[in-house]
Amino acid sequence: MPLPDTMFCAQQIHIPSELPDILKQFTKAAIRTQPADVLQWSAGYFSALSRGDPLPVKDRIEMPVATQKTDTGLTQGLLKVLHKQCSHKRYVELADLEQKWKNLCLPIENFRALLQLDPCEDKMEWIKFLALGCSMLGGSLNSSMKHLCEILTADPEGGPARIPFETFSYVYRYLSKMDSDIPEVDTESYLATLKDTVESRKNGMIGLSDFFVLTRKV
Amino acid sequence: MAPTPARQSQTPKWERGPPRCLPSSPKPPSPTRSGERSLTRRLTGREGVNGRSQGPEVPRRAGLPAKTAGRNCQEVPPPGGTPGCWATEVGAFGWLGVPWNKQSVAPTSCPGNLAPRPPSFLPPLLASRNPCPWHYAHVSGSHHHLAPTCLKASLHRKRSGPAPGVASRLTDRTSPAMGTYTYTSRPRALPCQRRRYRDSTMQPAEEPMHYGNIMYDRRVIRGNTYALQTGPLPGQPDPIEVQRQQQAKRRALARKRAQEQLRPRTPEPVEGRKHVDVQTEIYLEEIADRIIEVDMECQTDAFLDRPPTPLFIPAKTGKDVATQILEGELFDFDLEVKPMLEVLVGKTIEQALLEVMEEEELANLRASQHAYEELRSVELAEVQRLEEQERRHREEKERRKQQQWEVVYKHKETSQKVAARAFAQRYLADLLPSVFGSLRDGGYFYDPIERDIEIGFLPWLMNEVDKTMEYSMVGRTVLDMLIREVVEKRLSMYKHKEDQPPYVKPEDGLGGPGAMGEPLMDDEFHEQSTSQPQRPLSDRDSLQRTPSDGKYMENMSSQERKLLEGEDEQTIRKTSGRELLQPGGAFEP
Repeated sequence: MPLPDTMFCAQQIHIPSELPDILKQFTKAAIRTQPADVLQWSAGYFSALSRGDPLPVKDRIEMPVATQKTDTGLTQGLLKVLHKQCSHKRYVELADLEQKWKNLCLPIENFRALLQLDPCEDKMEWIKFLALGCSMLGGSLNSSMKHLCEILTADPEGGPARIPFETFSYVYRYLSKMDSDIPEVDTESYLATLKDTVESRKNGMIGLSDFFVLTRKV
Repeated sequence: MAPTPARQSQTPKWERGPPRCLPSSPKPPSPTRSGERSLTRRLTGREGVNGRSQGPEVPRRAGLPAKTAGRNCQEVPPPGGTPGCWATEVGAFGWLGVPWNKQSVAPTSCPGNLAPRPPSFLPPLLASRNPCPWHYAHVSGSHHHLAPTCLKASLHRKRSGPAPGVASRLTDRTSPAMGTYTYTSRPRALPCQRRRYRDSTMQPAEEPMHYGNIMYDRRVIRGNTYALQTGPLPGQPDPIEVQRQQQAKRRALARKRAQEQLRPRTPEPVEGRKHVDVQTEIYLEEIADRIIEVDMECQTDAFLDRPPTPLFIPAKTGKDVATQILEGELFDFDLEVKPMLEVLVGKTIEQALLEVMEEEELANLRASQHAYEELRSVELAEVQRLEEQERRHREEKERRKQQQWEVVYKHKETSQKVAARAFAQRYLADLLPSVFGSLRDGGYFYDPIERDIEIGFLPWLMNEVDKTMEYSMVGRTVLDMLIREVVEKRLSMYKHKEDQPPYVKPEDGLGGPGAMGEPLMDDEFHEQSTSQPQRPLSDRDSLQRTPSDGKYMENMSSQERKLLEGEDEQTIRKTSGRELLQPGGAFEP
């Protein structure tokens, strides 16, 4: 039924049938992601939605949201979002990554600071960037490896968070290389000991409990 | 038959009076009722002179005798017969009614017919004192003229018989007649002008009396009458002739009716009964000429007052007023969309929040579940490890315990053995000599050679001695037997010789042959006797040398057997058989 040109009452206002669903999904995503700049994030959300890319939406709501005043603003959830968006390629374009970074309302200075750690041209290996981000999340090498495991794992949340040992050793070597304090011998010996335990399990996966001692709050 | 002559006498006057009226009738009456019709028309025409109010009544009277005439009479009542002429109608009826009354007064005229007629119809009529002068004038003036007509009318009316309607009409009539020449009336239904069926011929003919202003009657011709068409057309039969024939017919009819009326009738039924025609003839026959009558009644509602006609207002055309509505004056999208948006956004946010919370809760539950599962698996592994460790520990403990027990047991056994040994040593120290002593005393310790001699050699020796002795005994016995045989032979021989010539004289019977045989015997005996002592010596020697040399013994026995063979094979055989059988006999027991 074609609508008349002029509207006379509120009943003539037609709401597209997809609108409520889109609106609801968007609202849910916004509530879950809690972006600092909703407009910026929405632009990223809808551009990703229209392109069919993975959406910049956190899987879980993160209650202690980064305030961006005391900390870097980067959280594990946001890194996971980035990982979800970028992991399909081995190398990521820095411009693209920067855009995604901005869409998540993260300060661009942090991005630059991250890149200064391992300066490279317009392309960067994604796993390295992820490792750098994880090192930014956690103070120590061990905790950053924990974050990395939790991001990369295919296990359900709260599970053993296992990742292939090759990836683990690759990232560990990369990160320990960044830190000049750690001698390479220590790294290798540590990895060798870990490898023994992993090989005893015969699936080549290293879990969180293998290298990270859980400090449970009682 | 009083009325008939009166009518006859008066009709010529009528006919002569209004001769022109007949052609002036708008419709010629049907031939069957032409007599009556013409009569009434004539009457009307004559009334045109006297009183015009008679007009509406005339066709009604004429139509009454026949049912079908009722339809005709509908066209005849003039449109002018409106309720406006009450006074004149009253006058007309009064004019009609009065002569009829006069007739009833006359004793000669139809006394039987008119007797049941109630005279109460007139008093209201007269008592109304209708002030119409025209009415009174005619009442007083011309009743002898009108008497026959009235009779006829009354006769007709008797047939129609509108008895119940008359009284009401009379009252209707009287009340408006009070106010002279004024007329007021409410809208009403037209009164039923006549009865469809005659109730009975005896009922008086009471017709409503209509009064009206004669000046408004159409039948009253005003002005010049010259222009009116008069005179019969040529070619038509003489109206007078026609009239005469009609008159004759009418007379015959009237006579018949009069005869009918004069017949004695059944008395009136008592109250609550009614007469029914019954055939009294022998044969029942169908009455075909009787009109089948069905009474039908229909009561319509009383007429309502017609509502006042609303004022006619023609439909409006065209625009009277216009309102200019500018764009956006009636409908402001932003304003109208606001509640919708509020609902949309509010609902969306509310639902999204709910869903997020729900999903978060579920995810939290799942995460904690996985965490607990992980924890549980770790703890399970730890428990398994501990269990394994515990098991190993227990096994180790058991083994050690077993080992220790063995050590203890061995130690104990050893100590017991040592103690027993010591005790045994001490106990057996002085036992040994005494045991040896007692054993030696018991003969357990002996010289083997001595024992062998005692056990083996000496019995054998005794056995061999016995055997040897037996051999010698056997030999001697055999020798004795031989000797005896020889002796007996020689004795027999000697006896024989003594009997026969003594050629050879044997010394004592044994001489001859004995002498010959003796040397032989002696030699043999010698040899035997010599050999005998030799043999035991040799035997002894051989025994001495080899005590257990069976071969030697066998050789010896075989030698002896060879020696004995020559002497007595039978005995040898016996002994050898005994010897051979001895081991078996020894075994047997």
